[in-house]
Amino acid sequence: MELRSTLRRAARGMREEAGLHAVAISSLTIAFMCLGLALLLLANLDSLATSWERAGRVTVFLRDGARPDDVAQLVLALEGVSGVSQVDHVTSAEAREQFVRDTQIGSALEGLPTDAFPASIEVSLAGGAEGVSSQQITDRVSRFAIVEDVETYRSWFSQLEMLVSAGRFVAFGLAVLVLLCVIFVVGNTIRLAVAGRREEIEVMKLCGASDSFVRGPFVVEGMVQGFVGATLAVLMLLVAFVLLRTHIDRSVASLAGVRTVFLPPVAALAVILTGVVVGAMGSVVSLRRYLAV
Amino acid sequence: MALFSFARKPTPSSSEGSPKPFAFFRAGLSPQGMTANKPILVFENVFKFFKRDQPTLKDINFTVERGEFVFVTGPSGAGKSTLIQLVHRRQTVDEGRILFCGRDISRLTADSIPYLRRNLGIVFQDFKVVNHWTVFENVAIALEILEMPVRLVRSRVAEALERVGLKGKGEQITGTLSGGEQQRVAVARAIVTEPALLLADEPTGNLDPALALDILTLFEEIHATGTTVLFATHDHTLLEQRPHRIVYIDDGNLKEARRGLSDWKRNPVEPTQSHAIAARSRTEDSTALTPIERGFAPTFG
Repeated sequence: MELRSTLRRAARGMREEAGLHAVAISSLTIAFMCLGLALLLLANLDSLATSWERAGRVTVFLRDGARPDDVAQLVLALEGVSGVSQVDHVTSAEAREQFVRDTQIGSALEGLPTDAFPASIEVSLAGGAEGVSSQQITDRVSRFAIVEDVETYRSWFSQLEMLVSAGRFVAFGLAVLVLLCVIFVVGNTIRLAVAGRREEIEVMKLCGASDSFVRGPFVVEGMVQGFVGATLAVLMLLVAFVLLRTHIDRSVASLAGVRTVFLPPVAALAVILTGVVVGAMGSVVSLRRYLAV
Repeated sequence: MALFSFARKPTPSSSEGSPKPFAFFRAGLSPQGMTANKPILVFENVFKFFKRDQPTLKDINFTVERGEFVFVTGPSGAGKSTLIQLVHRRQTVDEGRILFCGRDISRLTADSIPYLRRNLGIVFQDFKVVNHWTVFENVAIALEILEMPVRLVRSRVAEALERVGLKGKGEQITGTLSGGEQQRVAVARAIVTEPALLLADEPTGNLDPALALDILTLFEEIHATGTTVLFATHDHTLLEQRPHRIVYIDDGNLKEARRGLSDWKRNPVEPTQSHAIAARSRTEDSTALTPIERGFAPTFG
């Protein structure tokens, strides 16, 4: 009876203050979209870092005019290194062609000479970047005269890790900010609703209602606001993601060599649950002062 | 009695540590013989201060027996409402104690106050009904708080509305009713739980004389079924028409007359004697008091 009564009174409260609740839900949706967006960026940075780390590789740039015999000898030497899974020779022409294909810049690059792109040997590592010491490969190939430079991407990895860490920090800060916003929005909405229903609260308290009886419907309303706001935010992010994904994958993501990802289901669920919990908390906090009758 | 099994269920912890909830009795009845013998309400040396050194109520002592109808009267600002609020625990006693069914309610913790209020019915001057709720909802809320089954709520509300003369008006929005009808809704809400004590704080204050008399008659009908009523009013026309016991408060002091205004000039009981009655009632069955102790004998001119 008590639960049914609580739900019935909550439904009536939401019906009577529909406008107020709509405004609150809109504000919450925007707040949760900010949080979701931060998490989405973080998820993609994480995915990029993982993908690069997993697909460990080393690029050995060759001097111009390297003879095929020397190149073949270098390839043989690299194939002999344990942990190396694949060795590919990329000529200057192939490098240019690949760049033009990946960036889709098209005819703008057609005027560039072929030797603008150095020939290289792409070395794939079987166990990722952690599997084989890239330093070991560098040491081994730098003795060859045709090697101009060796790119192990270590600096890229460390920069990316720093970026991901910074992203995590920003996302955490944003999450705290959003939670405070949500508590503030829910609290104020409930406070306005309470102001409009102070008469009811007083009547209930005078009839012997416990604090939990009075609080119940407001907590349910806060939870519904949080749930609807967070769910709408996740759905809107999903729609935006689906609409923009192809475009993003074609431009930014292809350069990075990964496809964009949406929030993992657990993260999306966590956002929604956070909405519910924080909504309830906002109600409890804002009601405290009105219960002393 | 199962009807009122709503009182907080006793648990090992509640029976040992925190105060026990109020046992509930239907009007005029008691499940426990010992409680039935006790006065329903006792004020003992009660003081209430809103300003330092200026008590609103000074050393108030009086007893209300089960099934009594008592007018609390006095000029505006005398402390009538304060007295009602002390019983309803909207205010707290500063000194002394108030016993309701033998239990000191002045020391109740905040958690226990709702359980006290569930044993009391209360009607206010300004009705305190929710205007946008239906009549049914306004009355049913008192039973919903008790977690009563829906079917029982329906039948009890219908019964209460019939008692106050609002049969068939359950679906009307309360705000559309006249003042007298709104006060009847408040009375229905107060009696629907069959409280042990019905408190009325100037319930006729906002009504014209004819409606005021109607409401008083309604309270008397409820009283006739065995409910104890404490009725605060400053309306002398009501006091003149009914020979109920009068407790008069002026400047925080108390006098009383046992049989209405006609008895007032001949037989008011001064606080000192009233004090003696209260003290006696603490130790003895009130029925054992002498007529003088019970305030029937004239003492002051």
